[in-house]
Amino acid sequence: MAESALPLQGLKVLDISSFIAAPAAAVVLGDWGADVVKVEGPEGDPNRRIMTDSANYPKAAVNYPWEMDSRNKRSLVLDLKKPEARAALERLLKWADVLICNFPPLVREKLKLGYDDVKPVNPRLIYASLTGYGESGPDRDRPGFDATAYFARSGLLDAQRYEGGPPGVPGPAQGDRATAMALVSSILMALIHRMKTGEGSWVGTSLLGNGLWSCGVIAQAALANAYLPHRPPPERPRSALGNIYRTSDDRWLQLTIVQEDKMWPPLAEAIGRPELIADDRFAQTAERRKRSAELAAILSEAFASEPYAHWGRVLAAGGITFGVISRPQDVPHDEQAVACGAIVDTAIPELPRTLSNPIRLGFAEQRTAHPAPGLGQHSEQILREVGLEAREIAALKSIGAVK
Amino acid sequence: MNQPLPLAGLVVLDISTFIAAPAAAVALADYGADVIKIEAPGEGDPHRHNYKRAATYPRSDSNFPLQLDGRLKRSLALDLKKEESRPVLEKLVKRADIMIVNFPPPARLRLRLRWEDMQPINPRLVYCSLTGYGESGPDRDRPGFDVTAYFGRSGILDAARYEGGPPGLSLPAQGDRATAMTLVAAILLGLRHRDQTGEGCWVGTSLYANGAWANGTTLAGAAIGGTLVTREPPHKPKNALTNLYRTQDDRWLQLLMVRDDRLWPTFCRVIGQPELETDPRFTDREERRQRALELHAVIAPLFAARTYAEWEALLSKTGIPFGVIGRVADVVDDEQAKHAGIFADTTNPEVPRTVNNPIRLGFAKPRVSGKPSAVGENSEEILRELAYSEAEIEALRKAGALG
Repeated sequence: MAESALPLQGLKVLDISSFIAAPAAAVVLGDWGADVVKVEGPEGDPNRRIMTDSANYPKAAVNYPWEMDSRNKRSLVLDLKKPEARAALERLLKWADVLICNFPPLVREKLKLGYDDVKPVNPRLIYASLTGYGESGPDRDRPGFDATAYFARSGLLDAQRYEGGPPGVPGPAQGDRATAMALVSSILMALIHRMKTGEGSWVGTSLLGNGLWSCGVIAQAALANAYLPHRPPPERPRSALGNIYRTSDDRWLQLTIVQEDKMWPPLAEAIGRPELIADDRFAQTAERRKRSAELAAILSEAFASEPYAHWGRVLAAGGITFGVISRPQDVPHDEQAVACGAIVDTAIPELPRTLSNPIRLGFAEQRTAHPAPGLGQHSEQILREVGLEAREIAALKSIGAVK
Repeated sequence: MNQPLPLAGLVVLDISTFIAAPAAAVALADYGADVIKIEAPGEGDPHRHNYKRAATYPRSDSNFPLQLDGRLKRSLALDLKKEESRPVLEKLVKRADIMIVNFPPPARLRLRLRWEDMQPINPRLVYCSLTGYGESGPDRDRPGFDVTAYFGRSGILDAARYEGGPPGLSLPAQGDRATAMTLVAAILLGLRHRDQTGEGCWVGTSLYANGAWANGTTLAGAAIGGTLVTREPPHKPKNALTNLYRTQDDRWLQLLMVRDDRLWPTFCRVIGQPELETDPRFTDREERRQRALELHAVIAPLFAARTYAEWEALLSKTGIPFGVIGRVADVVDDEQAKHAGIFADTTNPEVPRTVNNPIRLGFAKPRVSGKPSAVGENSEEILRELAYSEAEIEALRKAGALG
């Protein structure tokens, strides 16, 4: 499909944000055609170094997180702390349709980057704000991270644990990426508003708000004073037929049998224990539930005797539903991951494939990922585009405001 | 504020069930769209009964999930399997701006509800499709649920575990709701395309692609053969000073003492063990890392001997970074959650508060919701809007097409 068909072609985005949720929203806009300029301080976005800095990131020879969160962007180094940089910033603000900002409110005030500061410069600007905890309130200025704001504060990690066990484990940037889609939606709402009224606006979202939205069922239940007890561990399940089992090759199978009475005989056959069908201890759902730990022990032993691939074949042959718990290393090779458009080819030789954003449009394809920019790689080009003269650019460079 | 809602005037047909797709329709309704939910006469969307049926839902007498996923919609009970219903559906499609569908592809074909079926009826329609695994590929027709498609298949559950332990847990509808934000973004891009070209379009997403996107950092690392990391359980930390500790009241304290080179003496005093400071086993950083298990054995019982509130009092103002794993019960009354606009009052006495969608707009507030419509509550009103006579409505009822 022709690139001219991209729905955000011509949209100009200033990404003055760091780390993941807000930059990932800018990536999505870029995927659909927007021209994204990433404005970084002289040290660059710390996300450039997160693969080595964070203990929770897979280690690789290629800086894949940076490539993923910055694809198709241009990089401009502008030190916003220097007063000399202000005039250039204002040129950029006039140029832009969308500004994405994730500084905590206090820093925004210091840098004069609040919505009230930038609105007079460009009243048609869409100001998209990401915070950890919202724009006001006691924790307004607290830097918010995915693990703390989206997962810990929201109650997700506490709820995601087995009874008596430690809290759940969030994947790196898992909540950030989900939040990016809410930020994209808010920006698109603002574009509709601007089309109708001619006016720019403030829009935004918070990591905490997104964490709570994703665990909306338990949050809404808590508002009605209803709580979910922690899940019993796999050796004491509520139902042995709706439980997880380890296979001989250390993988896990998720049995999700709903129609227990109908599926119990084929399951007993599948695990090679047909005599259990006639066993009075497990004859009815009520009895199986009452003796779920006993039954889970039998099933655990059976499933631990053969590898995952064996059980996949045998259960499918018996018409028994089960959930696949893929390992991360399996997904890039999963034909269905390619079919649903999650894994796509890039134009980056050292990173031939990447994750596309999850939006699919019948009328356009996402742009192919090109290499993420080096720090300040496009500084001069961008500043010239917004009308700075060579002399002005040189002056900014000489005082270290531009790199 | 108080400007017209950005989606006012848009008519949305929500022909979907359960959570991800209906939750996207809710977000559109929150911001002004007129959402007509088409559901089967009688039981309606099976999600209406989840609060009583689903074992993974908190128990409650009030239908709290419906406030989240059914609010601000009008219900039309129409049996799409009946030939008599077809003209009603086609009249609705002609009037609609957006249609949201989540039937697996074979059911869509059977019901003649594919984009190819709808486009001739209303070429300006934005047709939005949610699937479990995408629109093509070997698992295209597999019904997809949040636990299996978003969490299991994408590798999130496998990655979200402690070394040697069982896979992580997901909460009810956790991935569904995150996916809803992607659907909203896809629909808004479809509307933009319609504004630009005058043409309707197909847009969509899948639970699998959203899970993969959320797990994107890990998958991008896996895709280039990166070394995946395992998370050590809290009782076997690599660094005892950045670890989780259980307190006396079964809460989990996150100790985040990255600068232990500076804070070690303070920490020893705060935990009431000043002699540790000169303990030759732990004098410098390297030794503390090497003897992480020994150090853990010293401090874990100390944390277990006091409540979280006591620890909070002791650690506050010492400069030692720490946090708590929040509980959802605490968040509902959290001052910060109010400021972040996370919860909203309703006019439904049975469920007086609900969870807002995470999109915040400076120019408009989400609509206040009342009691969600019962199955078919608005059937007659909607048919009258389509100029059906009383006799015609009666005939549809007699045929069992209308509920």
